[in-house]
Amino acid sequence: MSTNLGEDLKDSLEKFAKDCNSNERLMVMNKDWNRVIHVCASDIKCDYTLVSKDGSISLTPGKPSSADMVVQSSAEILTSVFYGEVSPNEPYNEGTLRVQGSEQDVLRLDFITAMLWEE
Amino acid sequence: MSENTIDPKNVISISLGSSSGDFSRTIILNGLTVNLKREGTNGDLEHAKEKVRLVDGCVDAIGLGGIDICLRVRGEKFFIGEGLKLAEQAHVSPVVDGSGLKDTLERSVTRNLVEAGLIYPGIKVLMVNALDRFGMAEALIEAGCICQFGDLIFNLGIDYPLTTLNELHELATKYRKRLLTTPFHMLYPTGSSQDETIANPNFAKYYLENDVIAGDRHLISKHLPNRIDGKGILTNTTRESVVKTFRDAGATWLATTTPEMEGVSGGTNLMEAALTAVVGCRLEDLSVNEVTHLIENLGWTGSIHPFTERRGIEH
Repeated sequence: MSTNLGEDLKDSLEKFAKDCNSNERLMVMNKDWNRVIHVCASDIKCDYTLVSKDGSISLTPGKPSSADMVVQSSAEILTSVFYGEVSPNEPYNEGTLRVQGSEQDVLRLDFITAMLWEE
Repeated sequence: MSENTIDPKNVISISLGSSSGDFSRTIILNGLTVNLKREGTNGDLEHAKEKVRLVDGCVDAIGLGGIDICLRVRGEKFFIGEGLKLAEQAHVSPVVDGSGLKDTLERSVTRNLVEAGLIYPGIKVLMVNALDRFGMAEALIEAGCICQFGDLIFNLGIDYPLTTLNELHELATKYRKRLLTTPFHMLYPTGSSQDETIANPNFAKYYLENDVIAGDRHLISKHLPNRIDGKGILTNTTRESVVKTFRDAGATWLATTTPEMEGVSGGTNLMEAALTAVVGCRLEDLSVNEVTHLIENLGWTGSIHPFTERRGIEH
């Protein structure tokens, strides 16, 4: 079960990075947003690192040595968020998604998901 | 012998902005005396709710400042969660947020600036936020201005100017759900942060590469560079000190959209509340033509402060 959840989370993060990197306008918007984001699925103790640099997003397994933002929730919720099935706002407001970081960075991550998936 | 007197109308603007901008004035509108009052709550939403409950039923209309109930974009309303909750505190007095005047008065004032030759085809305009005053944005585009809309820059901190009305509508549509849930202070300066000036070169370049700076006065002031020589300013909610700041920074002219009252240009919410009290209904219950006619009859055409002698219009 944990393995499947971990794989699903990895797939969702890979898709998120791919969608960001194939959106030229978003890449321009993020050109100066250089951040390290720690994605932590606390229920299955699984960590990933998203790096936003010069407009591109890359994904590596494991936790970073230091992060600008930490996005923490269950693997299932994180997977839904990074697949764009739910807006991060919903679990965030319900208290099931925790985000540590500056308000500007929280807004930016939320903005990226809005640009990618909202219609 | 009894005197035929009509009780004055009383309206109040309850603002999430700084209380340092509080004022009261009495004006005559359509032959009626209207007592206007602005009270800032320094960004304290709960305090603002309490004040709305307190004055509900005691005043003829309530304006909400420093926050909107909704954004009006191409005839669609995009509601703002915290603004809605604030408005819902009143059950008797009508509550308005100024969006009705932004959609009518600001549109017509912008057209007046075209007639005055201050705005013309090809002139470059930075509108610091356009979703909040889409009527002005449409009027600027209609006048042939080359616009940079700074909603992403000034509200979200993303260094990317939007340049078309379609992009603005797209942003509003994609943010529809988020506007209902995102804490408003994350999107717009409230309380004492309205009084802070942050000289950020990322923002300054947009002031410098445009000829006219338009939109929300707090956002314009917050990131105002030291010098804006030769620029025109189109905004409202000004005080004498603000006018002086723009003049000292080298601006050529300042146009305010709302009428000036002894050195103060009120927020659109306050002036819409005044109109609501006088007319006896919300502006949204009137047609755009009716509101425009009303504004024209009142002589609300905007005010222009020329800071330097104009050498003629070059375009």
